[in-house]
Amino acid sequence: MENCMDVMHLIGVYTKTIMKSWFQYKVDAVLRSLAVFLRESTGIIVVYFTLLKFDTLNGWNVYEMLFLFSLLFVTYGILILFFTGLRDFGHTVRSGGFDRFILRPRGLLFQIIFVNADWFAAIGHGGLGITLFLVSAAKVGIVWSFDKVVYYLLAIFGGVLIQGAVFLFLATLNIYLLETGSLKELFYWNARKFAGYPVSIFHRAIQIGMIYIVPFAFVNYFPAQFLLRKEDMAAYPELFLYLTPVLGIVLYLLAYLFWRYSLKFYKSSGN
Amino acid sequence: MTFIEVNNASKKFRINQRASGIPGMIANLFAPKYEYRQAVKDISFSIEEGEMTGFIGPNGAGKSTTIKMLSGILCPDSGEIKVGGFSPYKDRKKYVGNIGVVFGQKSQLQWDLPVLDSFELLKAIYRIPEKMYRDNLERFTEMLDMSGFLQQPVRQLSLGQRMRADIVAALLHSPKIVFFDEPTIGVDVAGKETIRQFIRELNEKDNITMIFTTHDMQDIEKVCDRLIIIDEGTKVYDGELMGIRERFGTTRQLDVEFVQECSVEPIEKVEILELDQRKKRFIFENRDVKIDELMNELLAKYSIRDINISEPEIERLIRRIYQGEVS
Repeated sequence: MENCMDVMHLIGVYTKTIMKSWFQYKVDAVLRSLAVFLRESTGIIVVYFTLLKFDTLNGWNVYEMLFLFSLLFVTYGILILFFTGLRDFGHTVRSGGFDRFILRPRGLLFQIIFVNADWFAAIGHGGLGITLFLVSAAKVGIVWSFDKVVYYLLAIFGGVLIQGAVFLFLATLNIYLLETGSLKELFYWNARKFAGYPVSIFHRAIQIGMIYIVPFAFVNYFPAQFLLRKEDMAAYPELFLYLTPVLGIVLYLLAYLFWRYSLKFYKSSGN
Repeated sequence: MTFIEVNNASKKFRINQRASGIPGMIANLFAPKYEYRQAVKDISFSIEEGEMTGFIGPNGAGKSTTIKMLSGILCPDSGEIKVGGFSPYKDRKKYVGNIGVVFGQKSQLQWDLPVLDSFELLKAIYRIPEKMYRDNLERFTEMLDMSGFLQQPVRQLSLGQRMRADIVAALLHSPKIVFFDEPTIGVDVAGKETIRQFIRELNEKDNITMIFTTHDMQDIEKVCDRLIIIDEGTKVYDGELMGIRERFGTTRQLDVEFVQECSVEPIEKVEILELDQRKKRFIFENRDVKIDELMNELLAKYSIRDINISEPEIERLIRRIYQGEVS
């Protein structure tokens, strides 16, 4: 109990420090959330107007597409709050910041996560996710029973962990490679671009990538399918609808074990 | 009591040999070539509690690697390291609460925030009790004359001020061992003196064990009792600072001022340097040349105004040790 209080206290002090640092440049801090929101919205607006011309995409109408997008942004909003430090871990290693974490009597992942929590980007991405959810949820015909609310929350949890596992895995590679920017581009950001659309529209090879390699399909497509039940689900096993939370936990644990194993190979960055 | 014990520690790094140009990059992708560099080779030493040890060596000698192994950042490939009963790498979380590390080249302070905010953050990270925090802060602030800039953002501080703040940051949790990695780098003369006095005083009063790396020999002469010199990953000297003169200080120099301008004939096994028109410096090894014979010879041949015998400076000796001239 005392331990828990101590950890909460430290998280509080970290958060206060982050806020204070950001508000040294007040205008920038506020604009940052807005800039993230607008930048990400642009992509959505393009899709929105394109779809208005086509009516549906493989059976998905505009609002169902927006709902699919909302899952991507809500999970990313939470992800970016907790995993910015892992996303930018390469920089932390090169600048010697990780040496400093090792010298402090706290968990390494704990420090990486809470020292770098990016509240403003989280508000930008999460805000967009919530906006999309509010716009689409009422128009896609989901009846929000208790079961479905619980499922939705579990799917968000699993979706965050799946992406968190990808971040943690790529961060761990930094211990061996120092620079992994292009791998991140390939395996995370490109995969995420595909994830904006129903996975069923893609070539078989891309589908395999999205389901078995970087399983983004479980972040938004299958959870959306559980709630919307579109016809294109027929191509996939029913089981996939329920896998998201389990997959999140399993992948994250695997990435965590890889992280623990790799730490002893850490070389520091030299002076 | 032996506090720090290092037995045959070694550390090797693998360096990727990249060929230049685009073909080289592609070749590197498929068949990377590696080169191994032995940063630290079979180093052993032990340090007693409360000792103040200078750790020196040329760039790339393995100083930083050794400090990083002692502080738990790096894990030695082979050999054993024990500090205060802990194995730094294995017992990291328990161990690092007992140590403080100052990296002169890398600040641990929050760049955009007042110094005091960084201290408050450290208080939470290290779980420093309120009273200990207040006492330490007050004492160190006073000793290092910092009250004037505690409320200023770190980015506005001078290098000397920032360094003092960084030193305090490493000491707030009352560590038993402190590693200083070049704590005076880039600081002006007065600032260096303040830092040296502070470190000295803290070592004497609080019996904190300290390890100090630097390239500034003044730091070593003024602060350390003991010296460990490493070069190319191995230990080349370990002993008292003054002992270095006895062991390596076999050269003498004789500065002679002549009454008038004159040329001096070469003398066997003596190096002669021209200081100015009438002053010359004679450098020789103790065992080769007897100083009284040399002086007699000079006095007999030339008319001399002044003679000055001096022992070599520590700095000069150490430079010679680095260059492998003495062993």
